[in-house]
Amino acid sequence: MQYEFSQQSNELFEALESAISNLDIKDGQADDALLRSAAASLASTGYLNLGLSEAGESPAMFRAMEAAAAASPSLYLKLEVSARVFGRAVAQWGSDWQKEKILSPLLFGELLGTLALSEKALNVENDPLQTMGEKNGDAVVVNGRKQFVVNGAGADCIAVAGTLDGQGALFLIPKGAKGMEMGPPISALGYESAGICSLELKDCAVSEAQVISGLKMDDMLDMLRFWENQVLIGASLGLMKASFEEARVYAKSHKTGGRPIIAYQEVGFRLSDMLTLHQTAQLLAYRAGWMADAKDKEAQALTLCAKVFATEASEKVSSDALKILGAKGFSTPNPAESGFRSSKYGQIAGTSTEISRMKIGDAVLGKRK
Amino acid sequence: MEFAFSREQLMFKKEVLNFAKKEIAPRAQEHDLKGEFDLESFKKMADFGILGLHFPEEYGGSGAGVITTALAGEALAEGGADSGFLLAYGAHTFLCGDTIFRNATEEQRKKYIPKICSGEMIGCMGVTEPDAGSDMASMKTTAEKAGGKYILNGSKMFITNGPIADVAVVYAKTDPTARHAGVSAFIVEKGTPGFSAGPPLKKMGVRTSLTSELIFANCEIPAENLLGKEGDGFKMASQTVEWDRSVLLAPTVGSVAYLINKCSRYAKDRIQFDRPIAEYQAIKRKLAELKIFEEAARSLVYRIAWAKDQGQPLNHLYASVAKLYIGDWNMAPMNDAVTLHGGYGYCQEYDVERVFRDGRLAAIGGGTSDIQRMIISRMI
Repeated sequence: MQYEFSQQSNELFEALESAISNLDIKDGQADDALLRSAAASLASTGYLNLGLSEAGESPAMFRAMEAAAAASPSLYLKLEVSARVFGRAVAQWGSDWQKEKILSPLLFGELLGTLALSEKALNVENDPLQTMGEKNGDAVVVNGRKQFVVNGAGADCIAVAGTLDGQGALFLIPKGAKGMEMGPPISALGYESAGICSLELKDCAVSEAQVISGLKMDDMLDMLRFWENQVLIGASLGLMKASFEEARVYAKSHKTGGRPIIAYQEVGFRLSDMLTLHQTAQLLAYRAGWMADAKDKEAQALTLCAKVFATEASEKVSSDALKILGAKGFSTPNPAESGFRSSKYGQIAGTSTEISRMKIGDAVLGKRK
Repeated sequence: MEFAFSREQLMFKKEVLNFAKKEIAPRAQEHDLKGEFDLESFKKMADFGILGLHFPEEYGGSGAGVITTALAGEALAEGGADSGFLLAYGAHTFLCGDTIFRNATEEQRKKYIPKICSGEMIGCMGVTEPDAGSDMASMKTTAEKAGGKYILNGSKMFITNGPIADVAVVYAKTDPTARHAGVSAFIVEKGTPGFSAGPPLKKMGVRTSLTSELIFANCEIPAENLLGKEGDGFKMASQTVEWDRSVLLAPTVGSVAYLINKCSRYAKDRIQFDRPIAEYQAIKRKLAELKIFEEAARSLVYRIAWAKDQGQPLNHLYASVAKLYIGDWNMAPMNDAVTLHGGYGYCQEYDVERVFRDGRLAAIGGGTSDIQRMIISRMI
């Protein structure tokens, strides 16, 4: 048992914090130029590699994710979907050619990817995927509609999830491919710079070499959702960190009645509750990550426990931060209000908290899929 | 970072779990109904080696580490030992026994620790007073030095094991004009003239742990019964926090695991509207809430236990976070367990109502949740 990070991890965190502080992030913006600059800069710290090897780094991955998400939720989401979902999909299932073409530039921050999974609803638990590819000579022709694609317009390559010959498949479609039309970014409650959009594929042809196929559908969906859930756990930790810090600093400096408001129990005690939720979420995330690395049979259930806890705690913590900040919190932009708005996404996306609870309940009952 | 228990620890946990199921759980309900301390199980705990688990072997202990000791507490609860019984064990071994072990002379250690390990003596610790709870330093019990003895006057309140203790660690002011620096600690044995215990208090929960007042009326004890030095009392009492935030919180983790097992079984067996209630989402949700709390609490408790095993000084922030979370967030999932059982959950037959009642203490005993909030807010 070891509750502390290694020296190597701590050095990575230091390098990461330094790289983040050198980025010109303003008010949660995450335009393409900043995104690519951030990707290259963070790549040099080793941040993008975390979770892509067998090295068992998931606790450190979560710690690093928290730092990035705290700096800019939208930037984080774009980077993470690229590295930790798209990147891992290629690393796990891709052919040698695909790995060579994609992973190296990805890990150097020179290529950005994303995943197009959701169709009618943000989650795909109950409805089968409609997006389908059909072989036509050396090509695969893809048709379908996807929604809620993070950085759809900005990504260099989109892994579109669907079926091919009745099995799970990921069609790796490059930006600007004929037959792929991106919708405009949605006007979202949170992660407003994440460029979340829809896309439509009409007879979009890709070479067979650009397809990952022959996947068992349930396993593919489980894995993609798992990676998404990890990203959202990391996001929630970051939202909490940023909201808490904003409130803490304010409470220690803003005076009323001749003393800093943290001296009033209503404020100080609220901060204590916020910190308690944040630290508990961190530990749950680290343990869930470690169990996933160790391929523990409870890893899925614990990841869902961490997801429910962290995403709901992030709403509570950011909401409490707003109460402490008073009028200052109500004025945009600030991390607490951004965190409050963005926290809801974590509860809905990936495996929603409702479905997560059902799966946790099933795990407790000893039910297996 | 990694969170694995060793193979030996897991094997030991399983042994303790089976021990609790077989030897303690069958009597838990009866003792709770009667409000009685289960002495028979206590002796069995001693024979099993649990009472002295962390003390060195030369004093009758097993030399176990903190994580192993916490695992034992968790396993006992998961096996069905009730929280009152485990509170009695905790007060005996850690609040009394460990305080003596850490601060006593070698002579005092040899006199008391083997008997604490064997259960020949039952221990308690007296800090809280009728008018001094969270504000420990405002205690009024005094210890006046007079020749080769101290004379104690005052009273203590809410003392776990008070009615049955053979030995007590008692905190009293050797300097009533000072606050924390005026507190000293003493060993007082049952039967000492001027020392008595009040009748057991009637409580909402943890009924198998007998709690009472301790009364000191010109109680004379030898000067060598001073623990450590005069004025060291507050520091000693603070050290018990380390146990309070790890080993003494571990049973809550086990209690929730116990509830999960009970709820899971009941949900599969109970048929309503032609199907097991386990199939309803509302039931799965409750099971999920219990599971989430269990895992969250486990992470927090073993963070403290691990640090203590490394010999690190107590991280007061982490300790208070653990106590606050477990104390204030435990009632909702425990309430869910009662609700899941419907009418049976409201009856004593199914144990869940006992766990729910017992769980209420977590936000009060060993430092209230608001005190934890105060500590945390001062540290951030």
